[in-house]
Amino acid sequence: MPSAPAPRSLAPSLALALAISVAPLLAVGGGGCSGKGLTSTSGGAMLGAADATAGKALYGQMCASCHGVMGEGAIGPALSPWTKTERALVDGISGKMPQNDPSSCDRGCAEDIAAYVTSWSSDCASQLPARRLRLLNRREYDATVRDLFFPASSPPAGIACQADADCQIHAESCVGGACVADPCNLRAFTLPAGGQKHGAVRVAGSFNGWSTAGADWQMAYVPKADLWIVKHPLPDGTYPYKLVVDGAWITDPTSASTQDDGLGGKNSVLTVSCSGGAPGSQGPGASPPAGFDPARDFPVETRPPGFAFDNSAEAGLVTSVHVDQYLKAAAALADLALQSPASVVPCDPSGDAKACSAQFARAFGRRAFRRPLTDDEVSKYAGLVTAQADFKTGVGVALQVMLSSPYFLYRFELGAAQPDGSFKLTPHEVATALSYMFWGTMPDQALFDAADGGALDDAAGVEKQARRLLADPRSRPVVEVFASQWLGVESILVAQKSAALYPGFDDGLRRALAEETRRFVSHVVFDGTRKYGELLTAEYTFANEALAGLYGISGVVGAELTQVPTPPERRAGLLGHGSVLGAYAYADQSSPVRRGLFVRRNLLCEDFPKPPPSGGKVPAVFPGATTRDRFTQHSQDPACHTCHQYIDAVGFGFERFDAIGRYRDTESGKAIDASGDLNDVEQLGSGTHAPFDGLPKLAGVVAGSERAKACFARQVYRFTRGALEAPEDRCALAGVVTRFAESGHDLQELLIAVAAAPTFTSRK
Amino acid sequence: MNDPRRHPRPQRTRRGFLQALGGAALALPFYELLRRGERPARAGGVARRIIFFYFPDGAARPGSKGDLALNFHAAGTETSFSLSKQLEPLATSIPGKSYKDSCVYLNGVSMWGSDTGNHPAGARKLLTGRNAGDGQSLDQYLAGTVGASSPWHHLYLGAMATKDGTGGSNCIVYPDGSGNPVTPMDDPRVAFESLFGGAPGMTTGQPTGPDPRKVSVIDGVLDDMTRLRAQLGSVEKSKLDLHLASLREAEMRIKAPAMGMGMGPPSASCQSPALDPVSDGDLKDEHRFPQILRAQMDLMVLAMACGLTRVGTLQASHHTADLNMALFPGTEMAALNPNGMRSHEASHYGSSSDEKFTAFVAQIRWWVAQYTYLLDRLASTPEPGGGGTLLDSSIVVLCTEVSDGNTHSHDDMPFVIGGGAGGAIKPGRLLQLDNQPHANLLLALAHAMGQPVGSFGESSSGPLPGLLA
Repeated sequence: MPSAPAPRSLAPSLALALAISVAPLLAVGGGGCSGKGLTSTSGGAMLGAADATAGKALYGQMCASCHGVMGEGAIGPALSPWTKTERALVDGISGKMPQNDPSSCDRGCAEDIAAYVTSWSSDCASQLPARRLRLLNRREYDATVRDLFFPASSPPAGIACQADADCQIHAESCVGGACVADPCNLRAFTLPAGGQKHGAVRVAGSFNGWSTAGADWQMAYVPKADLWIVKHPLPDGTYPYKLVVDGAWITDPTSASTQDDGLGGKNSVLTVSCSGGAPGSQGPGASPPAGFDPARDFPVETRPPGFAFDNSAEAGLVTSVHVDQYLKAAAALADLALQSPASVVPCDPSGDAKACSAQFARAFGRRAFRRPLTDDEVSKYAGLVTAQADFKTGVGVALQVMLSSPYFLYRFELGAAQPDGSFKLTPHEVATALSYMFWGTMPDQALFDAADGGALDDAAGVEKQARRLLADPRSRPVVEVFASQWLGVESILVAQKSAALYPGFDDGLRRALAEETRRFVSHVVFDGTRKYGELLTAEYTFANEALAGLYGISGVVGAELTQVPTPPERRAGLLGHGSVLGAYAYADQSSPVRRGLFVRRNLLCEDFPKPPPSGGKVPAVFPGATTRDRFTQHSQDPACHTCHQYIDAVGFGFERFDAIGRYRDTESGKAIDASGDLNDVEQLGSGTHAPFDGLPKLAGVVAGSERAKACFARQVYRFTRGALEAPEDRCALAGVVTRFAESGHDLQELLIAVAAAPTFTSRK
Repeated sequence: MNDPRRHPRPQRTRRGFLQALGGAALALPFYELLRRGERPARAGGVARRIIFFYFPDGAARPGSKGDLALNFHAAGTETSFSLSKQLEPLATSIPGKSYKDSCVYLNGVSMWGSDTGNHPAGARKLLTGRNAGDGQSLDQYLAGTVGASSPWHHLYLGAMATKDGTGGSNCIVYPDGSGNPVTPMDDPRVAFESLFGGAPGMTTGQPTGPDPRKVSVIDGVLDDMTRLRAQLGSVEKSKLDLHLASLREAEMRIKAPAMGMGMGPPSASCQSPALDPVSDGDLKDEHRFPQILRAQMDLMVLAMACGLTRVGTLQASHHTADLNMALFPGTEMAALNPNGMRSHEASHYGSSSDEKFTAFVAQIRWWVAQYTYLLDRLASTPEPGGGGTLLDSSIVVLCTEVSDGNTHSHDDMPFVIGGGAGGAIKPGRLLQLDNQPHANLLLALAHAMGQPVGSFGESSSGPLPGLLA
């Protein structure tokens, strides 16, 4: 058993605890601070031969979980800035670190790590991330090809909506915060309610085998429009149908078209005719076909350990399966586009086909590659067109090459060399970075114009465009994606809950829970106070009838989510969302550990070593005991207590909510104690206490925490950069946090600050 | 704890030789790559193909020995041994057939490294032999070598492996040494369409020439990639190397579509393959998990029978999944726990008297039965070139990311090595080993596939003693 001496450099308050408790816990091999068996590549070389690159990898494996990825300190002390000599650092590591097994890191290993740590510059101007390529992920790919081929279908600016009911609901949907016309083949069936209360209304017809079962064809009541509605995509054809109102079959009162039903009555008739191109259409259609999702079968993105988002730059790798899928999607998109060649070819090829092919290559290539093509590239792509026997086929080949090209598939962050040796993103790279940050898609015409005209050359120009993009409703979907992934609540869509305990937990409720959180965050950022605190302390949420039922809120009718007040003594803000409460619980019980870790990791950006091998077992449910009772081992066993003092005491604050987010006062017949302590909220090991009783009070502590606000800024920064922060992000991140604080923690100003950070536009 | 064997000195060159190999492969035009699939002669024979069958969350009590009712491992001598209750389906799950003697059972293989005792580290180490997963996994290494002559160098199929997201090192295939895994195809329909959808000659049985338009497209894309690599130099080199290798693989499929037939005439099933329609549907409905996994196994075997690939990885679920295996219709698990029992929950069974232990054993038995089904499918499929069955010439590895699900231990891992391996491995044996690093197993498997490399991963010292013929 290796000994674990307390190093001199440990913060005094933690040193004792670590020496006593962490060491035995980690020594059995489960500790995130451990690093057994690793040695450096430079072995026992002299200090001068130390390898900072090898040190980086070793640091990540052996040091980061306790000292922070930027050396900023966590459960272990901060290492940055390192003010003593490199030799002193080597001496501090060698034979002493990692604590649980110092023998695992020999002198060469210590020298490599020291070389890495001391390479962290304290000079902000030189702290820049590396040049790189970022692969479009599935949602970015979909949005990009949609804008490439159906530019008119992008939601227009200014017609904002929060729900379909805010739009012409029979013909429009609320997409990304704006009303968008439904595709031709997406058909709405409606029944004006006229003040009458129906129990259930549905559609039955030849399209669903005249079935009256299942939820698919059930119509939902929309109070704002006072009508019942359901929408379905339908292929071209003629369909007899009827409405079924509380069991009674009636013809559609909104349709004059009927035919005999063969039983002496009438059926309503719907005719759908969408393909073949509407006369005079400018493209394959003003909108993509319903269900347009070319990236559907692309491989799922992986997320590196500790990184919550689907856009990791380092994990964006192209495998053979990706290439296969890219080629297939490109072929299908080219076919779609060529249903109306004029949508992609800006000239008449029957005249000068060669000139027209160059014109096509230049115009379409510029949009596909998000930058002007070089002359070489224009002749290459024009050549691909003219090499084929007919022009249209040639355009198809050129389109497929462009859509499968690395110039399309990657967002470039390479920049142009500057006199000081750094690289500055080109104007078109900046336009691309802005566009994907705020809209998750390719730049619009105004961004192209700004890049062409030199309006993105300075910080003021970048910020001006950032503000324009943020003010557009198209920025809402990206904020909602961020929120879902930051909170880790996408998983609620597939969360499995005990059918015996929670029979009502169905797909409809899952979707409503996910939608609630997206709508809520979007509302705070764009329609509410825009302040961080409102995310935690809001006394309202968005719920439909099913969700309101779960929350015990009355008076909400229908399937659509509307804003409703929440009882302030029970729920507050995001912590009271069923998505959060359910995602961080088990199938049959709550989990103080998962919920506590959620607060520490997602809201406070604090990491913990993994539990030891024998840990991780959930105490069984037994009669007469509350969840809190069952987790007492964590506070009694010192090996557990070291970490769980920071976890369970927070998680107990959620105990008035069960595994699907329902409120409860008692458990196993006993009153629930939801008191807790968000101890050391600003810095682990600082010895502070923030006692609270119940979820709303806990939310208040988080809302008031500087660390929580800085963590939120860090999460936005990670999402924007597509990477966990690294030492070279220290200065930029500090600047973002300061600007966020100066704005009074205004969420929109935070997004602007991230776009204005030097790491947004400069590389090394 | 201070056993020096637990602290192996890693290879000095961190991933040197693999990258060197990878780089060489990239420089070769595709037709030269074809030749690399021809394996050097090896005394004892060489396996033609390999499949890794992964199941989540370890087994029950692999660290204990002797009690076949409670412990995972087989017991006895090398040639005279008995299967445990957990391994018993190898002998009993297919009526009238026993695959007990088609496998080698390994007692005493441990996953070495500094990061032990948890699921994610196990998943990173399992096929890479490296703590941080920052090296190629063995299947990927084999894909680039023996697999490089097949239309698909590698086939990675999953069943609900990405259902719950892909954080937490859920996936086990690491392509490029960056420490980032890739994800499997979880949808049998997508995999089917990739394998059989676009190959000319595959449906008619008549080899046809390449589609000239597809050739133009892939040439155009490769030209852009060449320009980009020249422009970037060392920036993002490893990312673009992998991308280029993937493009070259697609190029082979497009330009030499009938190439995969080189192993012999395609069987009837290759000419008009069909996807079992029951596998096409909701990919998240846990009731359907057995159908989906079976469809993926069938596809894997079909792809191998048709010469489409030689290297495959099947990932059933992922570690720490809350997969409710009691929902699998008509199984022992459904009978035991009509109110449900989740995979990870059962793995923390506490003691062998706990009802979770019984449930967990039933789950392991089910995974072993699925593995047995895979062996049986291979054994029922003739080798395309004649001479025996696919199983005779293949290696089929049963693996999981921790040893004992209850403790997360990485010691005495529950590996089973199935198949005749073309004579490279003599099946029907139980090997009692003394704390061997699993990197030595990975190394031995590379040798069995005709790749006599000197080391693999961080802690290999030589091929696992006694495994190779």
